[in-house]
Amino acid sequence: MNIKQAKEIVIQAISDTIEGKSEVAEDMQLIGGESLLDSMKLVEVCLLLEDLADESGFEFDWTSEAAMSKSRSMFRSVVALAEEFANQSEA
Amino acid sequence: MIIVTGASRGLGRAITERLTDRGEKVIGLARSINGLEVEALECDVSEYTSVKNAAREVKKMKTPVKVFINAAGVASMNMAVTTDESTVQKLIQTNLVGTIYCCQLFSPIMLRQKHGSFINFSTIAVALALKGESVYAASKAGVEAFSRTFAREMADFNVRVNCIAPGPIRTDLLRGITDAQIDKIISQQVIPKQFQKSDVCDLVELLIDERASSLSGQVLNVGGV
Repeated sequence: MNIKQAKEIVIQAISDTIEGKSEVAEDMQLIGGESLLDSMKLVEVCLLLEDLADESGFEFDWTSEAAMSKSRSMFRSVVALAEEFANQSEA
Repeated sequence: MIIVTGASRGLGRAITERLTDRGEKVIGLARSINGLEVEALECDVSEYTSVKNAAREVKKMKTPVKVFINAAGVASMNMAVTTDESTVQKLIQTNLVGTIYCCQLFSPIMLRQKHGSFINFSTIAVALALKGESVYAASKAGVEAFSRTFAREMADFNVRVNCIAPGPIRTDLLRGITDAQIDKIISQQVIPKQFQKSDVCDLVELLIDERASSLSGQVLNVGGV
């Protein structure tokens, strides 16, 4: 999966989770005050991505070091999450 | 399906047997699964990768996990000044960090289900501040603090988290404790008697019952404090 496809999937997953109530930008933070998602919604996005990964034949691990690390967390932006999703699809 | 850590001995084994007897499907997690009479996975709760692998195996089973019981634990009865470094590390790593790893890595299964329950194990030594159990009690006080907060984090997903805090139950963990020391501890409980593994199993059954759905973030001290 390339990064463009991953971005589309992640943006769609977020949009579905927030029921299309806001535009999802690539640079949108996924955690912190600027985020459209509360922690519950973020978990729902991760579960949705887990399902989509399963359908595509790979395992999406959102409890990894990469997910938790503050400096390089996959949750720092939509793009970062998409990059991690694409990387895990190739692993 | 119910998952029990520390299923090969002590309270974990007793709980596994009780739940199996009442017809529950139980998966036992233990460092050594030889001799376990239930389906089991090797897992050292103090090792992140080991817990992660076990969680991955359970997820692959695609069977709902209704309860996760963190019964694995180690004990050392000693004054802090006479507890060596490796024992301090082992107590914290197994009792506290192990419980956190299991909750952290198995909770996504329950978050997806939007249903489930964690039962963690503390000790009455926390509430009673028992002399000679400082490091052990510290590891379990951490479990209580973690469980109360984790319960709030899980509540939106209909997942409950509670702790059972037994007094001196006859298990391997009590090796080296004299009858006089046990009597002194139980004399400080509200109900001053030595409870048994079966009493703890009764509390487990109580907590997994749907009628306990209003209980979360609680610590049940066996014998009372």
